[in-house]
Amino acid sequence: MRVHGISRRALLRRMGLAGVAAGLGVSPAGMLLLGQDQSHEKAIESFTGPGPNPYWNSVGPYISEPQKAPLILLTDRPVQLETPREYFRTVFTPNDAFYVRWHLSGIPNAVDLKTWRLKIEGNVKRTIDFSLAELIHNFKPVSVAATNQCSGNSRSRLQPRVPGAQWGNGAMGNAMWTGVPLRELLDRAGVKERSIQVQFQGLETGPGPNGLPSNLFLKSLDLSNSVIDECVVAYLMNGEPLPMLNGFPIRLVVPGYFATYWTKCLTWIRVLATPDENFWMKTGYRVPNTPGGNTTPDDVKSGNVETLPIGRFPIRSFLVSPDGLSKLVAGMPIALRGIAFSGFGRIVRVEISDDDGKNWTPAKLSEDYGPYAFRGWDFPWTPKAAGQYSLAVRATDDKNNVQPDQPLWNPGGYLWNRIERQRLVVGEAS
Amino acid sequence: MATNSKKRKVLLLLCTGAAAALLAFADLKRGEYTPAQLGALRQSAPPEFIADANFPASAYPVPAMDLAPGDGLQEVRIYCNTCHSPRYITMQPPLSPATWEDEVNKMNRAFGANISDDDFRKIITYLQAHYATNTRR
Repeated sequence: MRVHGISRRALLRRMGLAGVAAGLGVSPAGMLLLGQDQSHEKAIESFTGPGPNPYWNSVGPYISEPQKAPLILLTDRPVQLETPREYFRTVFTPNDAFYVRWHLSGIPNAVDLKTWRLKIEGNVKRTIDFSLAELIHNFKPVSVAATNQCSGNSRSRLQPRVPGAQWGNGAMGNAMWTGVPLRELLDRAGVKERSIQVQFQGLETGPGPNGLPSNLFLKSLDLSNSVIDECVVAYLMNGEPLPMLNGFPIRLVVPGYFATYWTKCLTWIRVLATPDENFWMKTGYRVPNTPGGNTTPDDVKSGNVETLPIGRFPIRSFLVSPDGLSKLVAGMPIALRGIAFSGFGRIVRVEISDDDGKNWTPAKLSEDYGPYAFRGWDFPWTPKAAGQYSLAVRATDDKNNVQPDQPLWNPGGYLWNRIERQRLVVGEAS
Repeated sequence: MATNSKKRKVLLLLCTGAAAALLAFADLKRGEYTPAQLGALRQSAPPEFIADANFPASAYPVPAMDLAPGDGLQEVRIYCNTCHSPRYITMQPPLSPATWEDEVNKMNRAFGANISDDDFRKIITYLQAHYATNTRR
């Protein structure tokens, strides 16, 4: 006799055990578990490499930093925190969950707005400054939904591994940024002729000697770059003041560009008549001038790799849920959900493959918040049979950029945008 | 007695019911718990603010941590700690000995760590001995 797949003998054996268990004060239901997998949530063991990090996020403990939700700790001084995957279920990343990346340990702990001023100086007709009150009241505010992604996001995927912050995928976020157009501020000061760049400096300092990158973090954009007209000096992030760790009181927003240009606690806007040759422009944050920024350790060693300052971020997409922490049920329809973004154009297509990238089907795109924002997508999916699945997600933008399926390598660990995969296990429904 | 027989019948029914329930959910598990350790994560208490123009954030936490014991640890603590916590070392993947040398060179030259020749060698040797591809544990 077989009832629900259990032989009568097995049943009797179990019931007998239950009887023994009852005598020992162990619950019969508990005894039914004997001989089965004692599965429960296990923490990820420490993982450093040398292989690629196999997890969605970086591997590290959670930490509670001021004004922030518990985030994944990369480093504590200066602070680098990664946003856990679950916060990407919404296309606007909450301020308290937004990732954090500082270069120098002198991060502000307090800003006195009585004395704080944003200064516009350098090669300008008149040096001017603005209090936060003036920025709020003397300019018509503009808003832009824009993705902020660290240049080194997903660095822990590279092979061979490269030094730097070992981010998983969570060094990114999308927010509605509100503030003053950079162009209006530059116009008030009057950019002099023959100016070529504009440099940005925040309140962050380090203990290093003057003039060295361990003392100041400085970034510049070319005045001829059309993105200057899209930059916003933001005092609101998702309709709230910025957390200190994300750049209170104001932060530069450079839509479509990697976050290295999004100066936090922005305080000096400096118009330059000569190119910025500080370390953070001339040596750091540079990418090979090759297709996709790809190169090899050997080519770098040969010294023949020409580099450029990093710029726009390439197209990416992510499956946010399901995240592989639960088993799925064969024949049961679920929704796959995720995000996509590109620094080069509007997302026009997100496709899903449930056979490891052989066949692709378009997902439904959700509300469009503009070309620089996260674009949500969802896809109704029914795993037909029990087994292992490898789901892949691929995005395309309106400039026809499509995510590649090849790995990439460069010594800075920048620009990773390979098609993401998620392994899912599907069990039988009966 | 009639009552006793009725009771016996009810009991039998109950037993059958229980057995059927066991049959229907034969692989059901419940009531499992596992011992676990609480981390140091605490909820943030709302700070006591003053309605002035000063906007504070409390101090940024630096959890205690250990580096591998060995020659050069003292020098690492003195020099590297000036600009960043030792977590910058343990966060790195296992790097090749040459890459560690490049890193310390970068700190010394580009970032102005100003490490004496002796200490410079000690720091590189220490990092290679504990945090390189062939030595990282």
